[in-house]
Amino acid sequence: MDGTKRQLLAAAGIDVDDALDRFLGNDTLMIKFLLRFPQDGNFSRLRNAMAQSDAASAFEAAHTFKGVVGNLSMQELFSQVSAMVEDLRRGDLRTAAERMPALEKAYGQILEALAQLA
Amino acid sequence: MSVSREESILIVDDDELNRAILANIFRSAYHIIEAEDGQAGLSDIQAHADSLSAVLLDVVMPKVNGIQVLRQMHLLGLTEKIPVFLITADAGSATMREAYALGVMDVILKPVIPYMVQRRVNSVVELFRARRKLSAEVERQRDQLLIQAQQLAEMGMGMVESLSTAIEFRSDESGEHVRRIHDITCHLLHTTPLGEGLAEDQIKLIGLGAITHDVGKISIPDAILNKPGRLTPEEYELMKTHTIKGAELLSRIPQMREHCAYRYAYDIALHHHERWDGGGYPHHLVGDEIPIWTQIVSLADVYDALVSKRCYKDALAANTAVDMILNGQCGVFNPRLLECFRKTEPVLRRFYQPAKGV
Repeated sequence: MDGTKRQLLAAAGIDVDDALDRFLGNDTLMIKFLLRFPQDGNFSRLRNAMAQSDAASAFEAAHTFKGVVGNLSMQELFSQVSAMVEDLRRGDLRTAAERMPALEKAYGQILEALAQLA
Repeated sequence: MSVSREESILIVDDDELNRAILANIFRSAYHIIEAEDGQAGLSDIQAHADSLSAVLLDVVMPKVNGIQVLRQMHLLGLTEKIPVFLITADAGSATMREAYALGVMDVILKPVIPYMVQRRVNSVVELFRARRKLSAEVERQRDQLLIQAQQLAEMGMGMVESLSTAIEFRSDESGEHVRRIHDITCHLLHTTPLGEGLAEDQIKLIGLGAITHDVGKISIPDAILNKPGRLTPEEYELMKTHTIKGAELLSRIPQMREHCAYRYAYDIALHHHERWDGGGYPHHLVGDEIPIWTQIVSLADVYDALVSKRCYKDALAANTAVDMILNGQCGVFNPRLLECFRKTEPVLRRFYQPAKGV
């Protein structure tokens, strides 16, 4: 993986070294799953559930989303969504809703970087 | 999915990314089987139970979840054979407690750190492999020990038989006499009510005891033992001591004394010339004071002596021998024993070579 791509991903909040470690240095495999990330439906499910104040569905979506984000070492997004999962586990929709803008922002940055990577 | 006979790892996770990361870690060392949900995972586990080195199991899955898979494996006794690793984002919950109780070997947190997963999985796989090898080895050694014990028992029996046969040879009898006493005694115990309440093992030991009934004859001088004519009263008294001498001989061999056949052998050697009415020797025991097995050996001994040629007599016809025994010409026997003997005797003739003319 060349330096430009690496910088691009790092700027979007991805710990590239950590992600590469998880794929045991197999960057082809890592990029394959990074490029597939925008199609992952969990974020939009989370967004919809939050809009409808459906705490149970929101928790489920956030939980799954956290798993994907963690595997791809999207650190910024991971810490945001992890906190949100805990809020929703407690059923605290209000605090969770307050986190949505930051989450949207981090998610947007990742999508942008991945669009350039492609 | 192709199946390698050995060393497969099953990854059960509904998320493709998780499966890809785990498969990538183990692909170089194991054959990888992937299942997308608990249900598929369970059927893979059952299909490949003999070749699975480990199962990596996600907890939250559609249809059948990881805990349900684990419960099923536990029920089938598979968690003892195949190490299961729970791969989860939430450790420390109540489900983890249940998972450990169900036999999970380890819980690995997501997102996984490959180096750690590899180390933890490999060391447990190695442990299970060593355990399997060890238990196979223990089983092999146990089988070997059983065979050796069997050989030892056979050898012991062979030694006893050789000793008894050697003694029989002195009185010009072939080893067939002790063999037949053994066979007649065991036959009566096996096929008539006389053997009721005796286990097969006990009958075997009684048979062994029957073989040594005459070992005391080793103390009787050749001149008496092989005397063609009638014994003088003094000679007869000496001859009678073979019962006491035999029991004494057996009691002086420590290996014999500790043998489970000893109690039978000792009593048979000592009392196989006793009679039901107290008319025998050496202790003039009466009736059931003489154990039933010893009574049987006495009768077998008399019968065999009658129908065989001896230095002091010719062989008698079987019918004549039976008549003499039933008439009490050879001493008084237990009526119940006589009845069983009378019914079974025609079969006993088969134990004799046709050449003997019986």
